Amino acid sequence: MSAGSHLAKSDHVTRPRETLAWGIVAVLAALAVVIVILGIALGSTWLAPEKVVAVLLGSGERKDQLIVLQLRTPRVAIAVLSGGAIAVAGYLLQKVTRNSLASPGVLGVLDGAALGVIIFLAVFSNESNALVIPIQWQPVAALIGAVLAIAAVFILSGNQASSAIRLLMFGIAVAAVAKAATMILMLVGPIYRTTQAARWIAGSVNEINWTEVSIVFASVVPLLLLVLAISRHLRPADLDEVSVRGIGLNLPVFRIFVFFLAAALTAVAVCFVGAVGFVGLMAPHMARMLVGRAVVPAVIASFLLGAIMLTGADLIVRALFAPTEVPAGTVTAVVGTPYFLYLLMRKEKTSG
Amino acid sequence: MSSFATAGTWKSARDWRLYAGLAAALCVALLSSLLFGYRIYTPADLWQAATAFDGSEAHIVIRDHRLPRAIIAPICGAALGVAGVIMQTLARNRIASPDTLGVNAGASLAVVAASALLGVDSIAGLSLASATGALLTSLLVFAIASTAGGLSPLRIVLVGVTIAGLFHALVEVVLTVREAELDQLLFWLSGAFVDRPLVLATGGSLFVAAGLLMAVFLVRPLDIMQTDDATARTLGAPLGLVRAGCIVCVSLLTGAAVAMAGPVAFVGLVVPHAARRLVGLNHGAQIAAAALCGALYATVADVIARFVIYPLEAPVGAVTAVVGGVLLIVLLRRRAA
Repeated sequence: MSAGSHLAKSDHVTRPRETLAWGIVAVLAALAVVIVILGIALGSTWLAPEKVVAVLLGSGERKDQLIVLQLRTPRVAIAVLSGGAIAVAGYLLQKVTRNSLASPGVLGVLDGAALGVIIFLAVFSNESNALVIPIQWQPVAALIGAVLAIAAVFILSGNQASSAIRLLMFGIAVAAVAKAATMILMLVGPIYRTTQAARWIAGSVNEINWTEVSIVFASVVPLLLLVLAISRHLRPADLDEVSVRGIGLNLPVFRIFVFFLAAALTAVAVCFVGAVGFVGLMAPHMARMLVGRAVVPAVIASFLLGAIMLTGADLIVRALFAPTEVPAGTVTAVVGTPYFLYLLMRKEKTSG
Repeated sequence: MSSFATAGTWKSARDWRLYAGLAAALCVALLSSLLFGYRIYTPADLWQAATAFDGSEAHIVIRDHRLPRAIIAPICGAALGVAGVIMQTLARNRIASPDTLGVNAGASLAVVAASALLGVDSIAGLSLASATGALLTSLLVFAIASTAGGLSPLRIVLVGVTIAGLFHALVEVVLTVREAELDQLLFWLSGAFVDRPLVLATGGSLFVAAGLLMAVFLVRPLDIMQTDDATARTLGAPLGLVRAGCIVCVSLLTGAAVAMAGPVAFVGLVVPHAARRLVGLNHGAQIAAAALCGALYATVADVIARFVIYPLEAPVGAVTAVVGGVLLIVLLRRRAA
């Protein structure tokens, strides 16, 4: 927590710092808007950004409207929502485990959610490969998988959970088992299921439609509001047990609630996009680096940074590999790996 | 592990019985690998296919489908098992293995890159690419691990797993760009013995033989390496040379296995633990036992993979990944690492 210690010193000068934090959030928001417009503008044909803005504001030519609203915006919208939600989940996990290496990816949440979706697709498809229950239930399946996975990680690690490194190792082991089960189940199903499930291999935001966007929107927004509502308690949650009890917060219950929230955010985020690695690790880190310890700006900054990262990653794969659909998760893995290694080396002091 | 510390006491009678038992079990496994699958054959079918081949479906399946995998699976298993033993001693880390240190992933990236991007299609070329990828990855992981004066065992594994994740992502990019079929991609990424031509075995087994030969020469130095660096130096082990030898040996073995079957997960993690349980810490015995156990384990897993989602076939790597993941949890809970 080297970043934490020097920020703690500046805590008594909260006012200017908080103003600065909100300023940074505003800059990030502006950046996100630019990336979103670029994300819509770039594709098999380039649309001038002013045309994109015109369509989004409700005017523009009919042809442009079709491209923007039907083809490109769903993809960008899902990237924004999912990237943001994963980032907030990562923020919650890092905060409540006091472990700056924690993220949905390494705690088994992503692979658990993937397994949940695969089982859902396998169980609820009929012979002609159509789903027999509404697709709205898919996030529920992802959520159950995610919650079970994170619960398994914490139950198995027991009192070793306090060690950052050991916790991650348990996460890796649980994730390996979940991933192998996912792989087997993917081969069981007919081809429809396999291609549906293929997004899960690496995370990808192509082939998204408005139904899926609206499902994600309807679940991410209430969850985010819930996060903001409990943010008052998140600050003391990184104190130790005794001090927390001193201010009247039931820490174990609160922690479980936060884990659940993080799992829920991850589940809805990835249930249509797939396992996008490292966004949940990097975005909250940068958010804390930029805005400091104030919780509300940090949550919002995490969301914005996650949205920027995933939209940007998708932009990069489209620019580099078009027309082949390379999963956006590849870019986040390429960028995220060195970053994670850097964190790992830097924190050698707090050895596992 | 102290209760199994029988290092140096060579209980030959018991050991020979053990090896004979393992060899017998391996024979049974190989036989079931030839007989069991989508169709189940009788030993009589097998005998006729061997002596009086008549081109019937049963005979063709046995010769062209069952036989190659019954040969490739044990070779890969033995190679990965021995590589695991050497890695665990080299890293002084009970959860080290070609998978957890990213060497498997490095080898598969090299194979995919060489075949898809450079157009290499000879068996020797692919094996060489695979071994080179394994070598470069081990050097990279150990270089990262040795910075900051050596990292803790868990941290080295985290470095390895992270790098493996990155390489898997890159393999996916190469394969998607080359428009590989999805199920091919899944099978390749998780490792499988199915539908591998027999020539792969002849090419790969040369590398495996070279690696096993090196392993035999490394037996004494590896015994010494189990102590700490200072003691090992006092006992006259040229540490740098031994380490370099170990890394080359592991790269040959892992590279050959990956070139033959893709990255079959966690065989190199599970097998050394079984071998140590059976024969203790003496490396001569450990390597012999790991070779037999690895061959047995891979063959049995390959047979099981045919029945997990019958009538379809699961990638054998998914089966071994479940076993390996569970073992990893057990080891972590015991604080064995």
